[in-house]
Amino acid sequence: MKCRFGEGFAVLVMALTMAASAHAIEADELLRQVDRNLAPQSYAMYRKLINIEPDGRRKEYVLFTAKKGRDRMIALFLDPPSEKGRATLRLGDNMWLYIPGVGKPIRITSLQSVVGGVFNNADIMNLDYSVEYEAEALTEEPDAYRLELKARTGAVAYDRLVMRVDREALVPTEIEAYAASGLLIKTLHFSDMKDFGDGINRPAVMETDSPLYRGYKSVMIYGSIEPREFPDEVFTLDYLPRAGELR
Amino acid sequence: MCDGRWFAPWLLAFMTGAFAQEDYSFDVEQFQKKSFEWSGYVEARPERAWLDRDSALAQLNFFDQTTTSTLDRAAGALELSALYRRGMATVQGTVHSSGTSGDQGSQGETRLYEGYLTLQPATGARLEAGKRALRWGKSYAFNPLGFVERPKDPNDPELSREGFVMLGGNFIRSFEGPLTTLSLTPLLVPTGGDLNEEFGEAGHLNPAAKLTLLYRDTDIDFLILGEGARSLRYGVDFSRNLTTNFELHGEWAHVTDAAKPVLLADGNQTIETADTTSHLLGLRYLTERDTTWIAEYYHNGAGYTEGQMRDYFTFVHDAYDAAQAGDTAPIQRATALADRYARANPMRNYLYLRVSRKEPFDILYFNTALTLIQNLDDGSRSLSPELSYTGITNLELRLRAVFLAGNRLTDFGEKQNDRRLELRARYYF
Repeated sequence: MKCRFGEGFAVLVMALTMAASAHAIEADELLRQVDRNLAPQSYAMYRKLINIEPDGRRKEYVLFTAKKGRDRMIALFLDPPSEKGRATLRLGDNMWLYIPGVGKPIRITSLQSVVGGVFNNADIMNLDYSVEYEAEALTEEPDAYRLELKARTGAVAYDRLVMRVDREALVPTEIEAYAASGLLIKTLHFSDMKDFGDGINRPAVMETDSPLYRGYKSVMIYGSIEPREFPDEVFTLDYLPRAGELR
Repeated sequence: MCDGRWFAPWLLAFMTGAFAQEDYSFDVEQFQKKSFEWSGYVEARPERAWLDRDSALAQLNFFDQTTTSTLDRAAGALELSALYRRGMATVQGTVHSSGTSGDQGSQGETRLYEGYLTLQPATGARLEAGKRALRWGKSYAFNPLGFVERPKDPNDPELSREGFVMLGGNFIRSFEGPLTTLSLTPLLVPTGGDLNEEFGEAGHLNPAAKLTLLYRDTDIDFLILGEGARSLRYGVDFSRNLTTNFELHGEWAHVTDAAKPVLLADGNQTIETADTTSHLLGLRYLTERDTTWIAEYYHNGAGYTEGQMRDYFTFVHDAYDAAQAGDTAPIQRATALADRYARANPMRNYLYLRVSRKEPFDILYFNTALTLIQNLDDGSRSLSPELSYTGITNLELRLRAVFLAGNRLTDFGEKQNDRRLELRARYYF
């Protein structure tokens, strides 16, 4: 009996382990599918970023972004004139900021705010979620999948994300970003599904609020996203001052 | 009487309408690349300086004038940049006009900071000809590797500066593996007639080059300026993130046959010629509360020793007394050397520390900073607190004070001012 109980227990453990790993694979696959639905791996993109204060005052920024592969990206400010020409380069976990007046790129960190407000560099220079986060759990809600994500390294701005994914479109509807302490840093709300062409059908508006900035709101509007392959030499410090030529 | 049953649906409809009308329009066409683009800023900068009338540099600058204890002046600047693209060619330039008006009269000037043609036959290849302001080195405050640029002002290192006329190129290659990027920037900075007069002696081509590597996540530059109008000099710099919020950088520069005019204690002048080595080690650290610390230690191998500076300041004080008695020859000699002795950071060892806090007390677009430049040889220092606000689109406001402290015959103790207060309003368009 003892032996049979032991065998039965082993079978049960194996079955549970396999089920859990099957679930984890599903979660990873779902996350990768979400990434591809949001943007191709290499692209050119125009975005507008709006900071809205409690009294309704707004500051708007326009960004051009070029991304190649898993982790190479340039974000260039095109507007307002006070920020025009400011460019950020990301190569993996390394980031540099070029300010025209300073005249040379300087190393910065992902948490640093480039423009002030609720958005920081990590929001502007974000890679695919599946590159920066590991899917730890997948549960189902009446109208959404709920993914729990954990940062793969300490270099990522938010330690954990809780992502709600639309069951049909497989794009995020809401993402909660938490610090390692468990503190909710911000919530991203996605809306306004739009067909960008080339099979890209995704939310065009991402609104952000944060308990750390009560009453303030930041909005990211996606104007255009197109698949595009850039030469490797574009993602270098010497090319950064000329990022405007990529448009 | 007001009935809430009527009011509530109206309020709901109003709020729904208000949210629905949120203006999230975005015309991408407006921001796509155009053949002609331009931008610029206009700046107003009123300032008050509290003179230290007994200091060597105040005596040098005002020996023939009656001065008050304060100097007020209003400064203004206009900077315009433009570029024109056609095919692989781009022409671009920056013109800077500045002027001041105050207790010491009015003056103004307009200078071409940059104006050059770029040909880009391929993404990783570029040729340039014209006036260009290059920035070499990794330091925030100092520039021992600024072989082909004008000196940086450590009190305001982000100010734009005038370039030199040069012919150059840039060639970039990217790789898979530990060496990610290799980039070469060869240059010629010719001198002759009016061309690059401030760079040095006429009749030289002045070849220079920078080789840049991104190797195992570390930025590394090797730099050289060949012998010509200036003596042979070469160096290396690096920058690396040790953690995501901690960056380390350094520079090392060697200058052969560096010539330095030295005023001797007896008032005679000599030229000291020697190979000099300068080095710098710095860090940048961002705390969880969004405070950035920048610290740099700088050894200026070509700088004056404490004894040489004391000799110069003593000579200026004596020359001032002589000028008051009618003999202006000694003070003219001291003035002729002022561009070396009175420039920013003329001595050997300095510590630069800047602590800046973004949006303290959660006040959006409001920044504070405190900058210390400490002379490690004579103990004198400069301390600059500043406040800045960028909450109004395209307008940047900065209020800054500078306090100088040091004994007599020290670097900052003998500067012209004891303290200074300035407000800078800059509008970008």
